[in-house]
Amino acid sequence: MATDDSNAAGFGEVSRVRGIAFEYLSLGASVAGLVALGVLLVYVAIDAFDLANASPEWLLTYFLTLVVPFLLFCLYSAGDPAVTRRVAGVLGGGLVVVAAAFAAIEAFVVTIPRLSWQLAYLFVVVAPTTAYLAYVGSRGRVGAVGFGLLGRLVGGVAIGLAVGTLFLVFDELVWFLAYTLGVLPAAALYAYGSRRAANRAVTAAIPVGLVGLVAAVFLRGVVGTYPSDLIIYLWTLAVPIAAVGAFLVDARGSRVGAAVVGGVPLALATAGGFLAGSVGLPGPTTLIVIALTGVPTAVYVHRVIDGGDGVVGLGLPLLIGGGVLVGALVVEAWGVPAPDPWLDPGYVTEAPSRTAAEAGLYPAIVGSVIIIALVAVLSFVLGVGTSVFLEEYTAGSGVVGSLTRLLQINIANLAAIPSVVYGLLGLGLFANLLGFGYGTAVTASLTLSLLILPITIISAQEAIRSVPDDLRRGSDAMGATRWQTTKNVVLPEAFPGILTGTILALGRAIGETAPLIMIGAATTVFSAPTSLFSRFSAMPMQIYAWAGFPQADFRYGVVAAGVITLLIILVGMNGTAILLRNRAERGN
Amino acid sequence: MSNTSSNTTGDESLITTDVETGSNGRTASSERTAVAARDLNVFYGDEQAIDDVSIEIPEKRVTALIGPSGCGKSTFLRCINRMNDMIEVCRVEGDVEFGGKNVYDPDVDPVALRRKIGMVFQKPNPFPKSIRDNVAYGLKIQGFDGDVDERVEESLKGAALWDEVKDQLDSSGLDLSGGQQQRLCIARAIAPDPEVILMDEPTSALDPVAASKIEDLIDDLAEEYTVIIVTHNMQQAARISDRTAVFLTGGRLVEYDDTAKIFEDPEEQRVEDYITGKFG
Repeated sequence: MATDDSNAAGFGEVSRVRGIAFEYLSLGASVAGLVALGVLLVYVAIDAFDLANASPEWLLTYFLTLVVPFLLFCLYSAGDPAVTRRVAGVLGGGLVVVAAAFAAIEAFVVTIPRLSWQLAYLFVVVAPTTAYLAYVGSRGRVGAVGFGLLGRLVGGVAIGLAVGTLFLVFDELVWFLAYTLGVLPAAALYAYGSRRAANRAVTAAIPVGLVGLVAAVFLRGVVGTYPSDLIIYLWTLAVPIAAVGAFLVDARGSRVGAAVVGGVPLALATAGGFLAGSVGLPGPTTLIVIALTGVPTAVYVHRVIDGGDGVVGLGLPLLIGGGVLVGALVVEAWGVPAPDPWLDPGYVTEAPSRTAAEAGLYPAIVGSVIIIALVAVLSFVLGVGTSVFLEEYTAGSGVVGSLTRLLQINIANLAAIPSVVYGLLGLGLFANLLGFGYGTAVTASLTLSLLILPITIISAQEAIRSVPDDLRRGSDAMGATRWQTTKNVVLPEAFPGILTGTILALGRAIGETAPLIMIGAATTVFSAPTSLFSRFSAMPMQIYAWAGFPQADFRYGVVAAGVITLLIILVGMNGTAILLRNRAERGN
Repeated sequence: MSNTSSNTTGDESLITTDVETGSNGRTASSERTAVAARDLNVFYGDEQAIDDVSIEIPEKRVTALIGPSGCGKSTFLRCINRMNDMIEVCRVEGDVEFGGKNVYDPDVDPVALRRKIGMVFQKPNPFPKSIRDNVAYGLKIQGFDGDVDERVEESLKGAALWDEVKDQLDSSGLDLSGGQQQRLCIARAIAPDPEVILMDEPTSALDPVAASKIEDLIDDLAEEYTVIIVTHNMQQAARISDRTAVFLTGGRLVEYDDTAKIFEDPEEQRVEDYITGKFG
């Protein structure tokens, strides 16, 4: 009958109802999911920072000293009157809408717990606007410079802390020997070889480095006296970092700049390292943090000043630091009630405690960082190795080909096995059979590596498969061996994709609890692990334990602070990996 | 082979291109053989791709392989540097001699063989690396111990690309235009100083201007290298090659002679039909 109609009235109509219904249903579902997650995170943040007790005056002060200057900075960087008008409209209109909606809900529907209309305004309007403006502002030159500097400062501190944490469990004396005997000679040979185009020196670098590493392990017990920890960190980390920074600046043709960029952070780091003890900070970690923050920052500042474009942006860290300081002074002078956040310096530097106010996450953070570092290395190396083998080396037919296919199918199936089962495997294999001990960091790392290995392998295979065959044939035709083709052409091209998969997999590993419970990891330990075979706890375990405490302070404040810490570390880790990936992609 | 002189005066060329300009004054007779095939048969599974081909390709000349699609000319090209080894179902019978040695002898390492034979593909395939690293690639993997930068410059000059890229050696090879990319691939192929350069339809993905640059370049390359080129473009074969081999369906080498002879007075009617465009 439809045909009859269409004959009468032109082409007629085709029904699109199902498509439109599907479109809006899926849109609604995603929005509902996001809103639910957003509300959860808002409440977690409110609990962690005790924002429910923040007075309106306190919020207003920091809004004026911190948020408004930051927004102005971004607007200045964007330099677009249309954006300025839009932002002003959203902030002003949002205030009215949120306040009215909040009042209406409170009056007619239900009282909203632990949330004032000011806070709701901050979370619903100001936070997204700030994020949007940060994005828009970072595309202007001034903003890019500001965020670049900020990123290097924060990233340097984070990486410095992570490296310092790793040295809690790794023997710095072995590292000292390995660096002096292996890494340094190998790097020197490599640098010399690439500069003079002497292939033999470059080829010799790897064996020299390996021999040095083996010698280091062997000599560790033989050598009796070592320099102090501070000297070791200075010699093995701070000096090389400063040297690399100076070299980068020198390559831009500035001798004086190179001396300053290398020398000043090095001097600061040395001074910081030796003085840290007097204020109760760990000297070696302070030294590493200052060196890892200072040198990249100095290199960046030199580059910006050298380029002469967007120099104003360098003021962004000052703007933010100054905002926090001024805000604190005003609040102090005004005497308005300030919130008492659960997530404070004490929380991340102290051990768990019976009382909620003194509870800290430090041992669990160290445990998680160590496990994740090991898992990242293990799963990356094993995952890439396996996927290269499966994609580049195995034959497609014959007995080997069938075996490969069997392996492929099984790897895909392994990815679907529940994590508890992997916990059982870790318990049986690593803890019992190999004797790595129950609930030790090394058992946990190996178990979690096994858990995410299938995901890493599958995504790395996908990335390797997407490298065009043209490139392989081009390399083969030049007379490259399979290994040379893989190393020089396939892996560099597949690297961003491999990294993406690894990031996702690591995100899963850092949040895993079930396998840790199975291998006997403690929910609470009171001191940070001191070796790979120490008992340890991880952040999700500790958070889970706290959630079961009877006191409300634990269940709300302390748990929320733990969740925020976990999320910050996860986001930081992923952010670093994404930056690395983007850099690799740009390199192409 | 003998009757070329008697025919040239009376006959029109079958195609309009001036054949003489392409030969560059090189005579195609009485020189050493670079590559030779004897009774070569190649199968992909049950299907025969090359049927009993015997051919002697002269040194430092341009030899064109022409013929319709699927006639085995690319397969033949890939037999010379054993790139067919990569195809699992491919089976080769007979000899391909290069440097007085059958490349299919069991003691020949195909990787070592390919280091003496450069190859340029249909689609430009520079590596996603800097221009310098692209050209230096062969040197790097072969452990070249001399001055890499000097060799890179020489090769880029040899590929007529130096003037266009000398200020941007560190930018990516993928930033170049298609024609430049193909010349970069040629520079990459000649950098390790091979003896033979194989080209598999090197201009078919390029515009006419870029293609003509490559053609000029091929002419120059023949001063130093043996060039074997597969092409679908009859005019191109006529312009640039000294010798032409015509493959027809079924992988048979139908006629192989001086280019002038093939294009002006082929022995076989089928060859004449093919190059005048009656089929294929």
